[in-house]
Amino acid sequence: MNPENAQRKVDGLLERGHALALLEAAFEDARSGRGRVALVTAEAGGGKTTLIDRFCEGRNGSTRLLRGACDALFTPRPLGPIHDFAGAVGSELAERLRDEAIPYQVAEALMDEIHGPVTTVLVVEDLHWADEATLDVLRLLARRIANLRVLIVLSYRDEALEARHPLRVMLGDVASGLAAVRVNLEPLSAEAVAQLADNHDVDARELHRVTGGNPFFVTEVLAAEDSSMPATVRDAVLARTSRLSSDARAVLEAVAIAPQQMELGLLEALAGARASALEECLRSGMLTVAGRAIAFRHELARLAVEESLPPDSRIELHRRALEALQAQPPDSQDLARLAHHADGAGDRTAVLRFAPEAAAQASSVGAHREAAAQYRRALSYAQSLPPEERVVLLENLSDECYLTDEADEAIHSLLTAAECYRALGDTTAEGATLRRVSQIHWCPGRVREAREIGLKAVELLERLPPGPDLARGYGNLASLASMEHDVPRFRDWVERALAVAAQIGDEETTSWLTVGADLVDAAEGVPGAMEAFERRIDAALESGRERHATGLIDGLAMSVRVCSPTELSRARLEKGLELTQRHGLELTHFYLLAYLSRLELDEGNWTTAADLAEVVLGERFSSTVPRIVALVTLALVRARRGDPDVWSALDEARALAEPTGELIRIAPVAAARAEAAWLAGDARAVAAETDAAFQLALERGAARPIGELATLRKRAGLDDGVPENPPQPYALQLSGDYAGAATAWNALSRPYDAALALADADEEEPLRQALAELQRLGARPAASIVARRLQERGVRNLPRGPRPSTRSNEAQLTIRELQVLELLAGGLRNAAIAERLFLSPRTVDHHVAAILRKLEAQNRGEAVAAAGRLGLLQDRQPAKPI
Amino acid sequence: MQTYVIMRRGAWRTPDEFRAAAERSAAEADQTPEDIRWIRSYVLAETSGELGTVCIYEASSPEAIRKHAYRAGLPVDEIVAFADTVVVHADPQPLAI
Repeated sequence: MNPENAQRKVDGLLERGHALALLEAAFEDARSGRGRVALVTAEAGGGKTTLIDRFCEGRNGSTRLLRGACDALFTPRPLGPIHDFAGAVGSELAERLRDEAIPYQVAEALMDEIHGPVTTVLVVEDLHWADEATLDVLRLLARRIANLRVLIVLSYRDEALEARHPLRVMLGDVASGLAAVRVNLEPLSAEAVAQLADNHDVDARELHRVTGGNPFFVTEVLAAEDSSMPATVRDAVLARTSRLSSDARAVLEAVAIAPQQMELGLLEALAGARASALEECLRSGMLTVAGRAIAFRHELARLAVEESLPPDSRIELHRRALEALQAQPPDSQDLARLAHHADGAGDRTAVLRFAPEAAAQASSVGAHREAAAQYRRALSYAQSLPPEERVVLLENLSDECYLTDEADEAIHSLLTAAECYRALGDTTAEGATLRRVSQIHWCPGRVREAREIGLKAVELLERLPPGPDLARGYGNLASLASMEHDVPRFRDWVERALAVAAQIGDEETTSWLTVGADLVDAAEGVPGAMEAFERRIDAALESGRERHATGLIDGLAMSVRVCSPTELSRARLEKGLELTQRHGLELTHFYLLAYLSRLELDEGNWTTAADLAEVVLGERFSSTVPRIVALVTLALVRARRGDPDVWSALDEARALAEPTGELIRIAPVAAARAEAAWLAGDARAVAAETDAAFQLALERGAARPIGELATLRKRAGLDDGVPENPPQPYALQLSGDYAGAATAWNALSRPYDAALALADADEEEPLRQALAELQRLGARPAASIVARRLQERGVRNLPRGPRPSTRSNEAQLTIRELQVLELLAGGLRNAAIAERLFLSPRTVDHHVAAILRKLEAQNRGEAVAAAGRLGLLQDRQPAKPI
Repeated sequence: MQTYVIMRRGAWRTPDEFRAAAERSAAEADQTPEDIRWIRSYVLAETSGELGTVCIYEASSPEAIRKHAYRAGLPVDEIVAFADTVVVHADPQPLAI
């Protein structure tokens, strides 16, 4: 791109030549089957829409154009922009939207729509106002367009996004892909402003200084044709409106109360006979026609006019808008809009009617932030509502906050609800509510409060005749005890809960408690319990109870992690990931993803482990378990390779884990810190890093942490004696049977642990084997420790290890194909590879076919063998015979 | 971005091999500018007659260094965290090897 050119005017557009060229280049890629995402950013009034208009005008009939925009509503319409272009595409999508489908299904329908030979340009503007469901759809879509003829253009203001805005999260996901191109629109230069001000009676330098080169601001000042320089955009807009007739100003004011467009019928209801001045407004360029409705040409102008309205006229306009919209047939009513105008009119009854309805609708399509905002709106009018009605709003708000990970507000709302129940004298409901408060304290690691409030709930409920809430109250305390690995206390609470449930014939609670008890048995390694639990998962899947199955997989993954060195099988973990994705269970999805990253580490697939850990760390959940697991995994990948930046990750993990006092979070962090210290040659630090966790594990009789920590401590020269009944393979290792331990670790597919078991031996042969295996794994620090031990025993001529030869990638595989190949070599099926790489299974099929062709292989086995020969596999370099 | 030093000892047998690797390295780094930036390298004449390098990179993480190396077909012996620079004189002029 010639910079000269960028400065020049492109058909009336100043200094936008480069931006337009970027969009054109992305479009050319899309046309040739390489899907792209263009992120157009600028400040408010920075010219995003003008640029996109110009780009869209340049498309011809052979391109399909889908265009939607997000509303500036305080609580936007769920999936608003998708609704905008549903009319232009097939019936499948429209049907899905009518059925209030979840984002996953909407994205599927859109995928089917844009799949094909026609190039599609899909535009969503003003993403900073988007509802969560829309962002989810776009995120799912952006992950899967790599091989489609589609260009997704997204525009947003990047200046005012708070750190936890869901758009940030989505952009993090989208922008990290190779398919994304950023188009940032800078303010206009002084030269460009001077060029625009030509023929106007203004000081161009002053104009540039005041407007900062903001294109909208400049245009407004020039359109006002007033020689005095306005100080703000608002002043500029108002100077311009003051030149219109009073009827035209009335039209502007009416349109200004609708943050999206306004239908002509509604305008007439608001402005009466003065609506005839619409023509004047359109001619002045302040309003523009959008389909069968009208809108401000720019949101900044709408805001300026709306803010300048005297409060009484604003309320009156909202009141009349509410009336007119309510008069429409119920099935065409837009609840979010009704709630907006009801709020604007200060109409308490209408807010309390429409805001909760709008919330329920938003929630049903997965727009939980919007739902929470509507409940908040309703609650701000609910002071005089009877407590039995207020609690419903509070409980619903709490649920929505819980789903969007706003733990503090979820807790606060439920506590207020519990107070309402106390005021009503409804002790059962108060106790039940406190039990829920206790439950939601656990995820963010507020374990002590969870226990205290859980006990308080039970105390209240024990004063009443036994009922289902008491049984669940005991059940909650049981599950908290199991998280702390306090098995005797767990069994005690379960017994009490089961007694109550049996007494009142509560079968649901009984079956739920049985699941919990089986889970603890499985985690404790009770023979046959794990298999029985996995059969339970399969049974739930076979009978179509997918959400139930997901809960079981999550529970098993978490419990097994603390207690037993045998992991939940990869197949079930991957099934769980598929289910959580399909059902939009994001938090559980990230728990499972974190466990998968750890599984990859344990199985020696370090690159994949680090990749997955990074995905988990890219999300900000107040739930700390996934983050701790991912931080530990990433730190161990680095420590085992001898890479830097180990301790920053481990320090964060410790800061999250320690205050909870829970073994489930503390033990893995302590073990990782001990290993990292040992690898760094600081064996003396191992005691300090593990003393507290080891003590806690012994108190609780937690088999796996005892075995793991005792092994690390023994390796560092600490003599704790052999603890009672450590699980295998730790028992073999602690008793000095290194060969037996190595065989057992290998049977669990854990090559690094197997090599370290051999490294604890005293004889030359197992040490040589350990060295070769550690060198093969790229475990530099551990390999040096073993090499030193061999040298101390007088062994000379140690192998330097297989030096990874310079990879030439003769077969010309693409980066994506190399990634697929890596996973394929790990034995993953295409569907699992698709999930891992966020691709569609169809795309993976194409990649696998390309890999076979390029490697001249007949099948997957041959491809992996050829890749091994060519040195294309990162984690699994061809194993040297030991 | 943080700065890292990467050791690639005795990686190339001939200057041609080395030059091809340097080209791949630069091309790969250009693909993900937000993750990796190649600052400079000192080329080592190893006693075995091979060539090696000590490279200075900026990267978002050690994993980004390894990914880049993998894609460009470069070996990594060791990645070391970078503490500071002391520049006493300008670098010697590059020689065409």
